[in-house]
Amino acid sequence: MDRRTFIKSAGAATLLAPVLVQELLASSDNALVAVAEGTDYPAITRKAINAVGGMKRYVKAGDVVVVKPNMGWDRSPEFAANSHPLVVRAVVEECLAAGAKKVKVFDHTCNDPRRCYVNSGIEKALKGLKGVECKQIEPERFRMTVLKGQFLKEWELYDEALAANVFINLPVAKHHGLSRLTLGLKNIMGVMGGNRGFTHRNLAVALADVNSHLRSHLTIIDATRILTAHGPQGGNLADVKVLNKVIASADIVAADAYATTLFGLKPADIAVTVAAHKRGLGQMNLDRIKVVKA
Amino acid sequence: MVKLTRARISQLLFLALFLLLFLQTEYRGHDQINAAVNSFFRADPLVLFSYLLAAKSWSWLLLPAVLMTLATLLLGRFFCGWICPLGTLLDLLSPKQRSTRQIPWLAGNLKYWLLLPLLSASLFNLNLAGLLDPIAILLRGLTFFFYPLLGLTAREGWVRLYGLIGEQRDTLAPAYGLLKSYLLPFRETLYPLAFVSALLLILIILLERLETRAWCRHLCPLGTLLGWLGRFSPFKRIPPGLCADCGQCRELCPTSFDQGSLNREECILCMECEQGCPNQRISFRPSWPLQLSEPVLPQRRLLLGGLAGGLLLAVPTRFRAPEKEAGLLRPPGVRNEDDFLKKCVRCGECMKVCLKNALYPAAWQAGLNGIYTPLVIPRLGYCEYNCTLCGQVCPTGAIPNLAVEEKKRQVIGKAVFDKNHCLPFARRIDCIVCEEHCPIPDKAIRSREVQVLGLDGVMKTVKEPYVVEEICNGCGICENVCPVETQAGIKVHVVKNRAPITEPTSGQLGY
Repeated sequence: MDRRTFIKSAGAATLLAPVLVQELLASSDNALVAVAEGTDYPAITRKAINAVGGMKRYVKAGDVVVVKPNMGWDRSPEFAANSHPLVVRAVVEECLAAGAKKVKVFDHTCNDPRRCYVNSGIEKALKGLKGVECKQIEPERFRMTVLKGQFLKEWELYDEALAANVFINLPVAKHHGLSRLTLGLKNIMGVMGGNRGFTHRNLAVALADVNSHLRSHLTIIDATRILTAHGPQGGNLADVKVLNKVIASADIVAADAYATTLFGLKPADIAVTVAAHKRGLGQMNLDRIKVVKA
Repeated sequence: MVKLTRARISQLLFLALFLLLFLQTEYRGHDQINAAVNSFFRADPLVLFSYLLAAKSWSWLLLPAVLMTLATLLLGRFFCGWICPLGTLLDLLSPKQRSTRQIPWLAGNLKYWLLLPLLSASLFNLNLAGLLDPIAILLRGLTFFFYPLLGLTAREGWVRLYGLIGEQRDTLAPAYGLLKSYLLPFRETLYPLAFVSALLLILIILLERLETRAWCRHLCPLGTLLGWLGRFSPFKRIPPGLCADCGQCRELCPTSFDQGSLNREECILCMECEQGCPNQRISFRPSWPLQLSEPVLPQRRLLLGGLAGGLLLAVPTRFRAPEKEAGLLRPPGVRNEDDFLKKCVRCGECMKVCLKNALYPAAWQAGLNGIYTPLVIPRLGYCEYNCTLCGQVCPTGAIPNLAVEEKKRQVIGKAVFDKNHCLPFARRIDCIVCEEHCPIPDKAIRSREVQVLGLDGVMKTVKEPYVVEEICNGCGICENVCPVETQAGIKVHVVKNRAPITEPTSGQLGY
């Protein structure tokens, strides 16, 4: 290292130091990940939520809550392409029990929305619940939002997600061709409009940009069964592994980081996780994440 | 004006049924459509005759049309006065002062000059009967023009409302939701030929201003065919002509009393004359022995002329520009283009029902003999992997009705990368949105990591996609979602050999 580079890096370190300290403080407080295991999916979902403080910690009486599952594909639940309907229902019920005024469940689907809503089983699972909306996306509700990100300066985001008091991110854990895995951070694409394929050019940074603007108050990862290959839509049961697990955390990066280990990968293998961690969105170092079995 | 006679009640019921089935011809949460508007075509003798002549084979789908033919032989041309939804529409839109005076330039043998060449062209493998079939005209006008117009108007209004009152619109959402789930189209699609389709329907309606049921009497090939079949019916009006002391029938009859005696071929059995007769002299009943007022076959000149007309029509319309051929993607399950053209009615139902609006009517790109036949245009809509609706609603089986596992294996075409546009090749950056969306469980689009020199001169790792042709079914989702603007970086091309792919094989696969 010559003198010039030393001065440069020292200068950069001084500038970044406050941010790094802040991040350390924020993440040390939040990096709690709860993992519940069992074949009764609603029960383990509740256990996981309770282990991170219970839903009342996140949802206050009268809140409008958005629960954003993954239901982007025309596949039935056993194929692990969409969040499990029983897990979704349990989360929604917890929100209602915590006093939510309204719970909105939606996804900007990749296949035909009608088929996705029906065949994911989620629309049916929520039927009859009072105060719950499971509406398809209405294109006029996307709002061009200033992100001031590193890759995305602005993008169309769904107004219901922006306007909600609480945003609960509820992905299924699965393989993805480009980002290797799709978890909570990638699930945010379901509130994005426009030419979403554009973000693939710099996916990790683009997702950090959107996640910094629209923060997930609670991330619940459905790992009751995971898709290990040919994601994100799969279609072959041989690629599906049943784990009977549900993961919950207030720290989206920590939740993603822990879920990565279920696939035999390290958090650093997933560029999206790394980008989000660098951006200060949460903790990805497994040593600094406290995992509790719920 | 609308008196509720038995025929009128039947007409209104069938029109309601037609509209109901029209709305029903859409995905509404179930994989199977039990009753679609194809019922009308399956009972349509013109569809039956042209199919038999062109395909030279039999389809059980058309059994209702055989029954309708038999019923017409027995009862006469009752279809036009009791069932035909276009006829009913014309009656409802008919001006108060009905004009039954014949339009001179339409009278005479013109209708045979339409019907006979159409049928004879079918014999020479050009099945254009659907172009002038009244039910097809009505359905195409609705599907391509009026229904999207209704949807657009409603949607625009709904969107404007959001602009005005924002989230407060949600209070009205249940009402709109109800409209949306039962009446409005899911997606408002703009179709080529929309204007032509509407124009034909509107012209027929305008013709009604000049002469009542002018279309039905002088042009409609289905009506002409039914009229000809009806000649053999023993079911007759008595007395056959006008009574010397009255002549009221001339006023009452919508079609055929202008010459002083009943033209049986044009009588649509509405029985207005029976209802309105001041003296109750009229009855419709079977009478034996059968007397044919006119010869069984039209004049020899007409017959030969019609036959020759069909031949002359059939050959030159087959011309196709070769460069267009690669883009002529047919709906899933269509393996042979010639066979498809012989069977397709061009009714527009597959395009109406198509879940992702992948199907559009061919304007000129498929040649004159392909006009109005369905084409898959992947850039506008792709074929949904688990959907089998187009085969379910096709009235003649031109698009075969296949079980979902079988349909997934049908080849529409094969995807080919265009490296001049595809981002990892052209700009050396990551993308693979196509691989992400490929529905084949083992992925017909895959990618590999390669070291390439980036455009900035720095070596980098990029995922380059490739097509596994053996398992590509040409659904077109890759072309549809390709984020490159205008021209996609991947395109589905027609292939001659459309043998089904071998994947998925085991019962585990699929959805």
